[in-house]
Amino acid sequence: MKRQVPIMLAITASFLPVIAFFFPNAWINEWFNRKLDEWMVIIASFAFLLGIVSMVQVNLHKVRRRQKGWIFSVIILVSFAIMASCGLFGAQGERENGTLYPFTWIFQFIYAPMQATMFSLLAFYVASASYRAFRVKNMEASLLLIGALIIMFGRIPFGALIHPVVPDLAEWIMRFPNAAAQRGIIIGAALGAASMSIRVMVGIERPYLGKS
Amino acid sequence: MNWAHKLLLIDRRIIFVVVFVGALIPIIWPIGLAVQISPPVKAVFDRVEAMKPGDAIMLSFDYGPSDGPELDPMANSILRHCAKKGIKVIGVSLFPLGGVEMAIARFMQLDTDLKARNGIDYVNLGYKDGAPAPMKAMGDRIESVFPCDANGVPYSEIPVLEGIRSYDDLELAISLATSIIGEWWINLVNAQFGIDVALGTTAVSAPKYYAFMEAKQAIGVLGGMKGGSEYEELVARAYPDLKGLSRSATMGMDVQSVVHLVIIFFILFGNVMFIVTKRMTRGAN
Amino acid sequence: MSANSISSGVVCPGGRGSGGNTAGIVRACTMRLNLSLACAILAGALLLAGAVVSEVIAAPRDFRLDLAVQDRPSDDGSSLILSWSTDPAVLTLPTGVVLEDDPQIFIERKTEGAVDFLEAGRTTISAGRFQDIELDSRESYVYRIGLQPATGGMVYSEVSMAASPKGNLFRTQRVNALVAVLMMGGLVIAYIMAARRGAKLFIRRISGLDQIKEAVGRATEMGRKILFVPGIVSVSEPQTLAALGILGYVAKLTAQYGTQLEVPNADPLTMASAREIVKQSYMEAGAPEAFHEDMVRYITQDQFAYAGSVSGIMVRDKPAAIFLLGWFAAESLLLSETGQSIGAIQIAGTAQVTQLPFFVAACDYTMLGEELFAASAYLSKDPLILGSIKGQDAMKIAILAAIVIGVVMATVGADGFVNWFTAL
Repeated sequence: MKRQVPIMLAITASFLPVIAFFFPNAWINEWFNRKLDEWMVIIASFAFLLGIVSMVQVNLHKVRRRQKGWIFSVIILVSFAIMASCGLFGAQGERENGTLYPFTWIFQFIYAPMQATMFSLLAFYVASASYRAFRVKNMEASLLLIGALIIMFGRIPFGALIHPVVPDLAEWIMRFPNAAAQRGIIIGAALGAASMSIRVMVGIERPYLGKS
Repeated sequence: MNWAHKLLLIDRRIIFVVVFVGALIPIIWPIGLAVQISPPVKAVFDRVEAMKPGDAIMLSFDYGPSDGPELDPMANSILRHCAKKGIKVIGVSLFPLGGVEMAIARFMQLDTDLKARNGIDYVNLGYKDGAPAPMKAMGDRIESVFPCDANGVPYSEIPVLEGIRSYDDLELAISLATSIIGEWWINLVNAQFGIDVALGTTAVSAPKYYAFMEAKQAIGVLGGMKGGSEYEELVARAYPDLKGLSRSATMGMDVQSVVHLVIIFFILFGNVMFIVTKRMTRGAN
Repeated sequence: MSANSISSGVVCPGGRGSGGNTAGIVRACTMRLNLSLACAILAGALLLAGAVVSEVIAAPRDFRLDLAVQDRPSDDGSSLILSWSTDPAVLTLPTGVVLEDDPQIFIERKTEGAVDFLEAGRTTISAGRFQDIELDSRESYVYRIGLQPATGGMVYSEVSMAASPKGNLFRTQRVNALVAVLMMGGLVIAYIMAARRGAKLFIRRISGLDQIKEAVGRATEMGRKILFVPGIVSVSEPQTLAALGILGYVAKLTAQYGTQLEVPNADPLTMASAREIVKQSYMEAGAPEAFHEDMVRYITQDQFAYAGSVSGIMVRDKPAAIFLLGWFAAESLLLSETGQSIGAIQIAGTAQVTQLPFFVAACDYTMLGEELFAASAYLSKDPLILGSIKGQDAMKIAILAAIVIGVVMATVGADGFVNWFTAL
C-alpha cells in the first residue's frame, strides 16, 4: 500500500495533462490542466522549504561537531538568516528618499557582483580547456580547430578586419553545420527523454520511490 | 621532458593571468571596434520595428545577476526600442534567483533614460515560480498567473494591460533567458499557443537556439554580448537621439575581442608546441 | 471556417444597444429614426417568416465594419472570435467624424436579451480580429465595436449576428502530435512486450558506463570519496531522472566496496529522490548502517553558488571520482575544470548540447545525449527498459524516414506532407 498509492498517484498525475492536451473540454481543462499547474506551482514553492530544512540541518550538524570547514557553515547560516529576514520582513526596491531597502542593497552590491564574478570565471576556464582540447591530433580534430577559429574570429569585429567574409562564414557555420548537428543531438535526446518519461509514466522506472 | 613539452604543459594560472590582462587593457583603453549586424538579431529588431504604437510584447526576465553583463544590455535596448515606438511592454520573470530584481533594475533604468511611465507604457508583473505552469496558464489568462503587478496594483487597474488577457493579445514574447527557461518558451509557448518568440541568451547557449530559429520556432536570437551590441547598434541607427545613452554591450565587445584573440593565441601556441614535441619525440626515437 | 461559424452578413441599423438587419438595407437607409422603424418592421417580418436569424436588434450604426463572429475551433466552448474588415473602403464614418490613424477600438458584447452592452476588450482596428474568452456556452452573444473620435461622442459599428461558443471534443489541430504520441507509445510498448517474450535485444557499448566500476574501484583503492552531481534542475527533467538511475547503481557499488559517497544537490525535490535512491541502494547492498542522510544534501538552487560550493568540496576533499550527470548549464565547465585540476577521474553525461563540448574537453568519459537516457537499460539489463530503448530507436528510424520523405516532397513542391507536421 505504501508503494502502490504513490505509484498510482504518479501514473494518474502524469497521464492527466496528456489527456488535457488533446481534449479541450472545460472540465478536463480545469482539473487536468489548470488545477494541476496550480498544484505544481504550490509544490515547487514548498520544495524550497524542504531544501532549506536540509541545508540548515546539515550545516548546524557540521558546526556542532566542529567538522572540517565548520566556519563556512557558520557563514552560510548567518548569511541565510540575514537574507531571509530582509526578504520576509522588509520591502524591496527603492525608498522614497532614493535609498535602497536592505534586501535590494544586499542583492545589488553583494549578491550580483559575486554572481558576475563566478560567471566571469568561465572565460578563464574556457581558455585553459581550449588550450588542452584543440590539438591537431588527426583530420577531424584539425577540422574542429579550423571551425573554432572561424567562429571565434567571426564573433568579434576583428574578423571583418581580417576579411569581410569571415563574419558571414561564421554565421553560415552557426546556421547550417552547427544547427544540423544540434538538431541531430536534440532529436535523439528528445526521443530519449520521451522514452524515459514513458517508463516513468507507466511505472517501469520509479525514481520518486527510491527505485532506479 | 624537453622544453617544448614543458611549454605544452604550461601552468593554467599563466593562462589565467594573460586572459585577465587581456580583459583589463580594453577596459582602460577602449578600442571602439565597429559592430557587424547578423541576421538573427536583425530579425528581432525588424519584428519590433514593424509593430504599431499600442501593440504589446511580453518581456520575460529569465536570468539572474550572473548573466546580467550579457543580458542587461539586451533588455535596455529592447525597452528603449519599444518606448520609442510606443509599444507596450509587459515584464514578467520566471527565473527564481534574481529575475524580478533584474526586471526592476531595467525598468528603473528605462524611467531614467526615457521617462517611461510605469503602468502606462510598461508594467512589471513580478515573479512566478514553477516556470512551465505559469507559461501555460498565461496562454489562457495572464491575470490568473499575475493577479497584480510587482507593486501590488491589481491587474484590472493597470492601464497598460487594458485589452491584454492572454498571448493572443500580444505581438511577440521575448525571453532573456539563462538555464532551461528559454527552451520552454519555444517548446511550450510557441508550440502550444503560436505566439512569436524571440530569445536573448548567453553566448554559450546561443548555438543551441540556432536550430530552433532555423526551424521557425523562434523568430530570432540575440546571442551574448555580441547580440546585445548589435541590437544597441540597430537602435542607435534607427533612433539617433538615443545614441547618447549607455551602450555597455558595445563597450564590452572590446574586451570580448581581445580575450578571443588571447584564446586563439593560446590554441595556436599549444598546437605549435604539440607538433614540436611530437617531432622531437619522433627524432629521439 | 468551422461548421458553427456564423457570417455577419446580416447587420442592423437602429438604436444603439440593439439591432440586426441586412447590410443592403442598412446602406439604403439614411435617417436613424426611419432606420429603427425599418429594422423593427423587417425584423418582425423575418421572425414571422421563420428566418434563421437568432436575434434582431434595433440599433443605429455609425459605420460599417463587416463584423463576423465565429466559434473558436478546438476549444472548450468558452470563446468566440470576432473579426472585421480592415479594408479602409469598408469603414464609412459619419460626416465630420475624423479618426486618428489605426485608432483604438472598444469591443462591446452583450448576451442575447440583455439591454446594455459591456466592454469585452480593446484593440486596434488593424488587428482585424479579437478573441473573446471566458464565455458561457449556454448563452448567445452579440458584438459591436466602438470608436472614440477626436471630438464628439463615441461612434458605433453595426451589431453582429448572435453566436454561441461551442465546446469541441478534440483539438483537431493537434492530431499530428497525437499520431506521434501513439506511434511512440505503441512502439515502446510493442518492444517491451517482445522483450517480455524473451526476444534478444542488443544495446551497443557505452564506454562512459563501462568505466563506472573502474572509477569506483579507483576511489576505493585510493581511500578517497566519490562525488556525484545529479545536474542542477528538478526531477521533472528526464535527464535528472536518468542521472538518478545511474546514482542507484553507483550507490550500490559504493555500499559494496565501503567507499564514501557524497551527493550535493541544487534542487530540493531532486535531493529528496536522490536520498531515497541512495538509502534503498545501501539497503539492497546489505549495508544500511553505512548510509547516513548527510551523504545526500541540499546546497542551493543558485547555479553559481552551487558551482562554488561543489568546487570547494572538490578542492578540499579531493574526490578520486566525479560523476557529472544530468542537466547542466554554464556551471558545467566550472565543475569539470576544477575536477580536472585535482586529477579526479571524471564521467559526465548530459543531453544539453551547449554543455557537451565543455564536458568532452574536461572529462575522461562523456555520455552524449541519448546515451544518458539509455544508462538504466544498459546497467540493469532489465528487458522492460531495454524494450523501451528499442522502441525509441524504432521511432528515430520513423522520424528519419519522415525527414527523407519530407525533403523529397518539398523538393518536388508537394508541401502538404511537410505542412502536416507544422499544422499545430
